[in-house]
Amino acid sequence: MRLLLVEDDAMIGSAAQQGLRQEGHAVDWVRDGREAEAAVANGVYDLLLLDLGLPRKDGLSVLRSLRAKGVQVPVLIITARDAVSDRVAGLDAGADDYLVKPFDLDELAARVRAVMRRHSGRTAATLRVGGLEIDTAARQVRWKGRDVALSAREYALLEALADRPGAFLTRARLEERLYGWDEEIASNAVEVHVHALRRKLDPAIIRNVRGMGYSLVQDA
Amino acid sequence: MSIRRRLLVWLLAAVLAGGLTAAGVVFFQARAEANDLFDYQLRQLALTLRDRTFIPSEFAEALKGEDALDFAIQVWGADGTKLYESHRSLRVPGAVQLGFTTQDSASGRWRIFAIQQRGLTIQVAQPVVVRDRLAVEAALRTLLPFLVALPLMGLLIWRLVGQEMKVLESTASAVARRTPESLEPIATRSVPAEIQPLVLALNGLLGRLGAALSRQRQFIADAAHELRTPLTALKLQLQLAERARDVAEREKAHAMLGEGIARAVRLVEQLLALARLDPDAPAKRDAIDLASLALAVVQVHNARAVEAGLALEADAGEPVPVRGDHAALETLVDNLVDNALRYTRAGRVLVRVRSVGHGAILEVEDTGPGIAPAERQRVFDRFYRGESAPTGGTGLGLAIVKRIAERHGASVELGDGVGGTGLRAVVRFP
Repeated sequence: MRLLLVEDDAMIGSAAQQGLRQEGHAVDWVRDGREAEAAVANGVYDLLLLDLGLPRKDGLSVLRSLRAKGVQVPVLIITARDAVSDRVAGLDAGADDYLVKPFDLDELAARVRAVMRRHSGRTAATLRVGGLEIDTAARQVRWKGRDVALSAREYALLEALADRPGAFLTRARLEERLYGWDEEIASNAVEVHVHALRRKLDPAIIRNVRGMGYSLVQDA
Repeated sequence: MSIRRRLLVWLLAAVLAGGLTAAGVVFFQARAEANDLFDYQLRQLALTLRDRTFIPSEFAEALKGEDALDFAIQVWGADGTKLYESHRSLRVPGAVQLGFTTQDSASGRWRIFAIQQRGLTIQVAQPVVVRDRLAVEAALRTLLPFLVALPLMGLLIWRLVGQEMKVLESTASAVARRTPESLEPIATRSVPAEIQPLVLALNGLLGRLGAALSRQRQFIADAAHELRTPLTALKLQLQLAERARDVAEREKAHAMLGEGIARAVRLVEQLLALARLDPDAPAKRDAIDLASLALAVVQVHNARAVEAGLALEADAGEPVPVRGDHAALETLVDNLVDNALRYTRAGRVLVRVRSVGHGAILEVEDTGPGIAPAERQRVFDRFYRGESAPTGGTGLGLAIVKRIAERHGASVELGDGVGGTGLRAVVRFP
């Protein structure tokens, strides 16, 4: 998934970005409210991680103006403000969840998964598509009852496709979900990962239609 | 002794003294009047007797029944024989001279009037004690209402003072109800004018206390909030270090963790420095040479400047005497130099100290990015970090500088560096 991290503190920002990348997310990081608004305008993000105390435009204002513009991207607030009134204000402004500093990387990752799950209408942490079983919490994949070891990118690609089985995702859309701005993307990166998934699972599991992109085959 | 008891004793004593004084005055007045009156009577009686025929038997007859009188009459013939004596048993002193006299005798003090007429000496005498008794009676009559009023007044005073004291009690319970959470002023409306200064002074104290408390609370709230940032960074950095899959990754994570710890330590140090600079505590007034103090601080930072490729220079030749707290002034110079080195990427940092009149000026000038004029006041606020602030700062350095300067009566200004670039911090000591 592609996340936008909005955090003005350099140490927290770089550590959180690194930690979330290890979870297999593509993470872009901006340091103030105006940059955040400009970045969200691209519409490529699956989730926004938003600090409240930001220079130039504070987090709550950013959130309110996003929601006022009808931007539906899920927002997880990450802040040092722990008062109940602050949490209420954050949630009322349109946040999907609220995480108080100092937080744990594992908890951050779990909340990101939970917000995404709620947003896609799923309640369970496990995705099932045909013989494919994805435990999004443990990030474990089983194919016909057998554990399959995937790299972070392969997993992210599979999860993106499994989120809406049968639907097509273009190569560009997949690249956006898999890579942040500052990451090098080989021109055939998506093909390489698709190839790996076909090899590890089933050659027929991912369909590729020219001009439409890739989709997960439900009855493979 | 309670005010009530004291008032009671003193007021009653005053009333009693007033009564006694009045009685005394009445006594003397009454005695003087009685003297005049009785002297007149003595004289009249003697003159009346003079015009009588003095056949002893007739005389005695004429005076019969006058025993009850307070007057003792004696009549002597020309040869000195006593012709008549009204009160034989009283042993009235004999005539010594004519006119009014006062004589002491075995039977007491007597007032005597004597005249001579046709060889007869007529003396009318009256015991002085009769007059005194009259005067005393008059005095006692005057004193009586005071004596009757005394217990009534006592009761009244006791009650009234008790009632007035209830206001004190209610004020005291109002004070007792005040807690660190509720320091609102005590109502002065129903308080008597005498107690008002006390209540007003108390309200002043409550106000100052409340302000100091809310300053402390705000500081603690700010500090708690600010501590979360470096702690969050530490927690994340530690987890990254734990997750590291190879040596290079682990080394990188450990380096980040080290930076995070250094920042947390600096923040805690700065918070403590700020907390120690209690605005209400008096600053020390030691004699200090600001020039050598600044040179010492510059030396401490020299290695760091060399490492960063910056020229750290000091212009402080002559001793510059100021009065103040050595440790606090060291912190002030240290924070300014630390800021200058932190922000300046290339160029130099210059520390200049000189005497101006009786005062002194300390300048720290750098060739860094400077601070926009609009931001120059806000950077002194606690935990405010400029938009271009590099990481590792605490947002407290300039707040501490300002607090120390204020405690020394000095002013701090931020301006442009030489040629309009960089920042110049100027501290003026009076």
